[in-house]
Amino acid sequence: MNTTITSEVEYLPRSRRRLLVAVALAGYPVAVAALAGLKHTSLNRWLILALFLVLLLPTLIALFVGYRYARGRIDGRRARLDERDLALRQQAYALSHRVLAATLIAATAITEIYLTSGNTLRLDANTFLPAAMWVIVYLPALPSLMLAWIETDQPADA
Amino acid sequence: MPDGHRPVHNRLAVLRAERGLSRKQLADKLGINYQTIGYIERGDYNPSLELALTIAELFRLPVDAIFSLRPMTPLSEEIFREPPAGTASHPLAAAPRPPDPG
Repeated sequence: MNTTITSEVEYLPRSRRRLLVAVALAGYPVAVAALAGLKHTSLNRWLILALFLVLLLPTLIALFVGYRYARGRIDGRRARLDERDLALRQQAYALSHRVLAATLIAATAITEIYLTSGNTLRLDANTFLPAAMWVIVYLPALPSLMLAWIETDQPADA
Repeated sequence: MPDGHRPVHNRLAVLRAERGLSRKQLADKLGINYQTIGYIERGDYNPSLELALTIAELFRLPVDAIFSLRPMTPLSEEIFREPPAGTASHPLAAAPRPPDPG
């Protein structure tokens, strides 16, 4: 069972892997935005929580697949990394840095524009939690997701 | 082909088939992962100089017989090609050729 999942994940075509990476990256912000929007409705709290979890589920699955795809090549769990693995890991880290920099710059710019427009931002546990969760979830997963994004399709076995 | 690199053509698949080696067996001899062999054969990964030399050593061939910046011609064509005047021909080319079936 475990081997089957690993094998299927290993041979996922790049187009499907990229779709999963996009789901993993966009899923959490979408779920948080939906939660923020639904909080102001008259919907039952448990229903809102259920909807949030349903929206979060594809993200969690995509993150799991991305992590399995990397097969220890990012975190060094794989005993032997050859020169292609090392080069790929370096590319994945470089791309992660670019994605992280772009996200932080965009978030900072949006916040700055929001604040200079005369609005105020109250920082409390509720507003900080999504940001904290984003950092906790995505920062460790980003290199694995980027590796799944950049690696070309596996050659068929011969 | 790796981004920003000239494609490096190779005869790895042919040589591996000639010697009856699987990708896994060749990879084990070279100390690399078997997927890397596939990526090299497909031209998706250009091996380092060290790995190219190790491969050449393993097959007991010069590096440029395995890797080239120009597309590879079939080995048979290269062996039996008429040499330029004044140069020695390949020893195999001097061997008697089988009769033409036609």
